[in-house]
Amino acid sequence: MRPILLSGHERSLTQIRFNRDGDLLFSVAKDKIVCAWWSANGERLGTYNGHQGAVWTVDVSPNTVLLATGSADNTVRLWNIKTGECVKVWDFPTAVKRVAFSPDGSQLLAVTEKRMGFLGTIAVLDINYGDGQLGGLDQQADEPALRITCNDSKATVAGWSFLAKYIIAGHEDGSVSQYDPKSGEQLANVQVHEFDHQINDIQFSPDRTYFLTASKDKSAKLLSARDLNILKTYPSDTPLNSASITPKKEYVILGGGQAAMDVTTTSARQGKFEARFYHKVFEDEIGRVRGHFGPLNTIDVHPAGTAYASGGEDGYVRIHHFDKSYFDFMYEVEREQMRK
Amino acid sequence: MSRLGNRADWADDEEFDDPSALPAQQVITNKDGTKTVISYRFNDDNKKVKVTRRIKTTVVRENVNPQVAERRSWAKFGNEKGHAAGPSFDTTSVGENIIFRPSINWKAQAKEAEKDGGEKGSMKDQLKDKKVKCRICSGEHFTARCPFKDTMAPVEEPSTGGMDAGEADAGGLGAGKSSYVPPHLRNGGAAGGEKMGGSRFEKDDLATLRVTNVSELAEEQELRDLFERFGRVTRVFLARDRETQRAKGFAFISYADRSDAVRACEKLDGFGYRHLILRVEFAKRST
Repeated sequence: MRPILLSGHERSLTQIRFNRDGDLLFSVAKDKIVCAWWSANGERLGTYNGHQGAVWTVDVSPNTVLLATGSADNTVRLWNIKTGECVKVWDFPTAVKRVAFSPDGSQLLAVTEKRMGFLGTIAVLDINYGDGQLGGLDQQADEPALRITCNDSKATVAGWSFLAKYIIAGHEDGSVSQYDPKSGEQLANVQVHEFDHQINDIQFSPDRTYFLTASKDKSAKLLSARDLNILKTYPSDTPLNSASITPKKEYVILGGGQAAMDVTTTSARQGKFEARFYHKVFEDEIGRVRGHFGPLNTIDVHPAGTAYASGGEDGYVRIHHFDKSYFDFMYEVEREQMRK
Repeated sequence: MSRLGNRADWADDEEFDDPSALPAQQVITNKDGTKTVISYRFNDDNKKVKVTRRIKTTVVRENVNPQVAERRSWAKFGNEKGHAAGPSFDTTSVGENIIFRPSINWKAQAKEAEKDGGEKGSMKDQLKDKKVKCRICSGEHFTARCPFKDTMAPVEEPSTGGMDAGEADAGGLGAGKSSYVPPHLRNGGAAGGEKMGGSRFEKDDLATLRVTNVSELAEEQELRDLFERFGRVTRVFLARDRETQRAKGFAFISYADRSDAVRACEKLDGFGYRHLILRVEFAKRST
């Protein structure tokens, strides 16, 4: 496969997201710009300009009408995807590290940083889609519908489970917790990763009944959203920044690499800047894709499972459209089952 | 002198009148459906550069849902506002091809590949555990010292396949590894001695026909069917254009038996095949 290299950012990537149809890819980096790309040919559709600081996170509404971004300038911004206009700015006391739309797009959660005497919080905002003709998108509620405060350890990432029944959050101390999105009550908290090893990413399966965490403790874990049981563990030899579940084939893709501050002291090969493919069920590593010159900060898979993109510390986004060999690979057991 | 006198100096040819003028872009349609676009531009050093591009257009039809189709018509915005459609060179490029083949024992394979890479360096290491083996009796001595040298011919290795024009360069590179193989070791080390004995090459050559004036639309299988009437054909080689895949107009047919080849040569020389009259003769040995 021939990757498409996107060099629209001047600083390291922080998050990339495909929209639900997979035709658009959104990327954010530490350089204040939000980019939208056509995933098929790597053409840049446009940029969303307005942030005053590093942009940490991006998410796209399920209907590809609104784009939410969270930034180190303490704001969450809502953009009209088609025109590139900013339709709403929410101010927070601290930086916003993660935003995520609920499965139906009616709510948006924002994870805020713990800093300057403020505790880390998860805010839930109601989203209004206007009249359906892209009018009235700027009429959004000013105040969050709910605020969850994390007293023990700040949340670093969060997402919505199936039917928006729970909010699942990953914490700085390596634990995962489950919140009720109506009351904000913490329903469960499980120490799934090694203590004090931050969870860097959390991504859900297409039906959102299970999810994958990527942690600094060099492992990724597959957890059930309902009871936070650990279903699978994928060990690796490097701190992980991102992990994604592939639809269509039963794989997971993990990305990471030596922490950015140690990179200059190691060669590219030792740095382990590769995307690692594991079989989701058998937990075996089945291959690697190299290409980045720095750690992989973020990975996202095309919702149809035909491509994946990775964003690195080197400022590049690489879109890989999978070859036939990727789809043909099967374990002997899988082949036998196919025959039956 | 006088002839040059009334003409402008050759140095002020039209081309140099206006250095900023560039020849117009040329578009040539090739017969295989591709297009050649020749354009001129100035590079950073202000030198004129001719750019020749060959473009092959393929139409890929894809069904998408209406929302996706509607999005395709969106105008660019932000920093891209007003830019032309299509990826721009400063933001989008294509990387090197990556071979990604998932496998169960991925780790073992990767380790092996690494080991291969490390060993490549010295020829001595590669030959370290190679044993001297006689090609005649497989004993542990050089072929030249073999006691059966005068009585037996060398044992053919199945991979050394004659002088196939198509395979000639592939065979020359040894076993596919990237490391250099000296000429005397190519083709499994058998080539040198074999030529001296002159057994197989010449025999093969004697039963090979050169067929010319073959139609452009000819197929290897058709030729085989045509020539197989006279005896067992061991090899059919139809020269094709590398890009268009059309026949170039000549072919080589090898027979197992020379007498069959003689008969085929007689019967098929002047035979009408696909609107052209074939010319069949014995191939001359290329030296």
